[in-house]
Amino acid sequence: MKVLKRIGVALLSLLVPGLGQAVAGAVRRGFYVFLGTSILSGLSIFVAAQRARFPEEVYGTSARIFFILLLSSFFLLVALRLIYLALIRRVAQDEILYRVGEGLFLVAVVVVFTLAGPQLIERVAPPQAERLLYMTLLLVMAVVLAGLWLWNVQDAWRVAEGREVSWNGFIALVLLGTLVLGTRVVGIDLPKAIREYRETERILGDILWPWRAAFDYKATELRATAKVQAPCPPGSTPPPVNQPKEGEPWVVVTPTCGELSVRDEKGKLTYGTLLTIRGGGFVPGKKVKIKWENPIGNEFTPRGVGPTEIEVGPDGTFTTQLYIPDVVIPSFAKGPQIHKLHVVQPGALEFTGKLSREMKLALQAMLESIMIGLMATFAGMVFAVPMSFLAARNLMFNLRTSPQGLVGGVFGLVLGGYVGWQVAARVGSMLGGIEKAPVSVATLGFLLVGGGAVLGFRLLGRALDRLSQRLPTWARAAIRYGGFALIGAGLGWPLGLGYAHGLLAIAWGEEQAAAVATQMAQIGAGLGALAWLYLAYRWGEEGPVYIGQWIYTVTRLILNVVRSIEPLIWGLVGVIWVGLGPFAGFIALTIHTIAALGKLYSEAIESIHPGPIEAIQSTGANRLQTIMFAVLPQVLPHFTAFSLYRWDINVRMSTVIGLVGGGGIGFLLIQWIRQVQYEHAGLAVWLIAITVSTLDFISASVRKRLV
Amino acid sequence: MLRVEHLTKVYENGTVALKDVSFTVEDGEFLVIIGLSGSGKSTLLRCINRIIEPTEGRILWNDIDITALNEAELRRVRREIGFVFQEFNLVERLPVLLNVLAGRLGYVNPWWSLFYYFPKEEQERALVALETVGLREKAYNRASDLSGGQKQRVGIARALVQEPKMLLADEPVASLDPVLAHSIMGYLERLNQERGVTILCSLHYLDLVQRYATRVIGLRDGRIVYEGTREDIRRMTDEEFKQIYGEEAQRLGA
Repeated sequence: MKVLKRIGVALLSLLVPGLGQAVAGAVRRGFYVFLGTSILSGLSIFVAAQRARFPEEVYGTSARIFFILLLSSFFLLVALRLIYLALIRRVAQDEILYRVGEGLFLVAVVVVFTLAGPQLIERVAPPQAERLLYMTLLLVMAVVLAGLWLWNVQDAWRVAEGREVSWNGFIALVLLGTLVLGTRVVGIDLPKAIREYRETERILGDILWPWRAAFDYKATELRATAKVQAPCPPGSTPPPVNQPKEGEPWVVVTPTCGELSVRDEKGKLTYGTLLTIRGGGFVPGKKVKIKWENPIGNEFTPRGVGPTEIEVGPDGTFTTQLYIPDVVIPSFAKGPQIHKLHVVQPGALEFTGKLSREMKLALQAMLESIMIGLMATFAGMVFAVPMSFLAARNLMFNLRTSPQGLVGGVFGLVLGGYVGWQVAARVGSMLGGIEKAPVSVATLGFLLVGGGAVLGFRLLGRALDRLSQRLPTWARAAIRYGGFALIGAGLGWPLGLGYAHGLLAIAWGEEQAAAVATQMAQIGAGLGALAWLYLAYRWGEEGPVYIGQWIYTVTRLILNVVRSIEPLIWGLVGVIWVGLGPFAGFIALTIHTIAALGKLYSEAIESIHPGPIEAIQSTGANRLQTIMFAVLPQVLPHFTAFSLYRWDINVRMSTVIGLVGGGGIGFLLIQWIRQVQYEHAGLAVWLIAITVSTLDFISASVRKRLV
Repeated sequence: MLRVEHLTKVYENGTVALKDVSFTVEDGEFLVIIGLSGSGKSTLLRCINRIIEPTEGRILWNDIDITALNEAELRRVRREIGFVFQEFNLVERLPVLLNVLAGRLGYVNPWWSLFYYFPKEEQERALVALETVGLREKAYNRASDLSGGQKQRVGIARALVQEPKMLLADEPVASLDPVLAHSIMGYLERLNQERGVTILCSLHYLDLVQRYATRVIGLRDGRIVYEGTREDIRRMTDEEFKQIYGEEAQRLGA
């Protein structure tokens, strides 16, 4: 009987993986087996169906085959070992035999691949290679899936036997399959990376050691000059011929006057007088350049009239010949003009010890980045601290009020928000309107509306809560039902509008949806009011309404949504809002910091000892006093540590924000990369690395002391 | 006078910590609550000043129903009821003096206190309380620097400055060694005898109960299973003892 059952269970698992295990009583195990097997099978089919994934890019293919085979055999080895351990663990003498087999297999793999690998890479032509790669993938996946299937049957058998079972083989096979699929999907190609590294080398070199660009250098050069007159002055003497001088560069040009070359409209050159140029006193073995200076002082390299770069002989002298170049002479310049011929030999660059312009820029931008990070952290903290208290489970979950108090609170919220809005609007118009000072008005409005709302919520909520205790029952009921109906309608109205303009607009089109928007809003308001009337009925006079849990949930939701939007995206928002520059980066980082710190802070609050809170509450302290005495001293070190950590992150982030125009060093970095100035980009990268690691070190050591 | 009527506490996870507990404490009594861990002693004490909200029942303190008070009224009642904890519950990062001054939070101007500012006479009062427990020279140390016994004395000083009419003590000596235990219990006894403060104290050791209690109630599984005077405790039989502490319990030392 028992054997029959085992066979039946194994057969079931053969049909549907995991079914046998489930039938044999291990339902959860069966479910996981089914899930793992079907996901891996589905993934294999999906990847196999994309066979034309890299149709063009076939050069690395044969190498990829090599790589995948190597990887698979390694993991196959691990899988075999784990399966072995799961199966025959108890047979002790087999262990040695297995080890030997394992070792031989490993040696075989290494030998085969070192011998066959390069052959394979050389012999297989690209299209064939692509096919071979594909077939290998199929083969490996078929082996893995077959193995998984067999493992599952055997597992079902063992479960039915009631023996000890393990996950090892399953995990190893699934991991192997996933990794093999992964190399194909990602297109991992180690050989290609090695083959094509050379082209990166120069750029990488610039970036890794950019310090030459950090300083200014003075170019020293040797220079000698001779005067040439063109045309030769009739009746008067041309400039004297230079004499060679000891100890300094000299040049002698003969004759010292002559005709200019002439270039006609087609660009054809008619040569002028041929000059013989002798020079000396230059550094031997290096080249000198010949430059021409026209009568109004412009220097240029003459073209098409003879060699302009001449090797200096071992004694420091040289001789060459050059036609007088074509020089455009202004029409007002009449008669013979004095030109100059320069012989220039560039010397070594001289280190001046002064920082280069780029280095100064980079330092300035780095400072900007640090400051952006610092300011964003501070601004974030200011908002995050109060939010974190609202998002702390242990502080909020016991906060409750009566339904009447809720009514007062919600009306206070609306009223406070409205008053805040009005004040902000007045102040805004005094500052020159929202167009002139958008951020200051918006921030002020945000603060005033938020503050007003919170204050209104608190004050009116409490007032109504207390007042209603002195009112007759019917008055309390009136407040409750009336207030709840209004709240419900107020919540339902925008929901109805949103339904019309959001969902209906998709289904029906904008215009038709807009036509029914008002009705929808009314229906929404009606439904909301009904729902809230029901709540008013159900909660009765006492409630309690767990208002704290609501606030907690909403705050957490906001924090999580804001936090899950990357700072880079907030950076784009910031750039659109206030334009390019550090201010945009500051806004982006502040928003993200509020959310991130709010969460970290609130978790620090949640992890404090509840004892001191009990103790302080027992003395008759109010809520704020309890926070100042029992909560704050406990969380302050954590807050400080988290803030420092965040500063560290923010400085790092501000470099990224700079990439989208948020100011700081990232802005500079992306500009230099776009201008292919890798050495300067390297400076920026180095400065970032130095700053970040310094900050990391500081914040880590301070944190260690605090917590 | 404190009257507890039909007090029941059911925690949100469904645990019934107290079930229909009723008793009366006259002014000036030293009532000791005994019982195993988990029998509801801590919950009972915490329900009395409503650090834990009772589920049902009333608590009448000088004919004021504590369970019906709103927040502000509750705070005024709480400041007259001191509380001493097993784990001392000091704010470890604050100086000892501020820990003691925290006992005055229910009396002082709440806005000033938010900046840790207390008037001169309040500071004087706190120093006197520290003097009483023999820790005046530690006033400016951080609370975390103190030993266990010293911390509990600070805890008592914090309750002292509340000028309490009643003191709730939740196993005040369970974390301390026997010698320290007697010294701490001595402070409570003096408070009881010299200032006439009503004391409700939960205890573990029977010898301490016999030494200090004027009356005893025993809790088991959230119900009162024993009630007796100091004399009753001295005459307590093993059967009664086992009724409170369970069958496997042994009398220690007594």
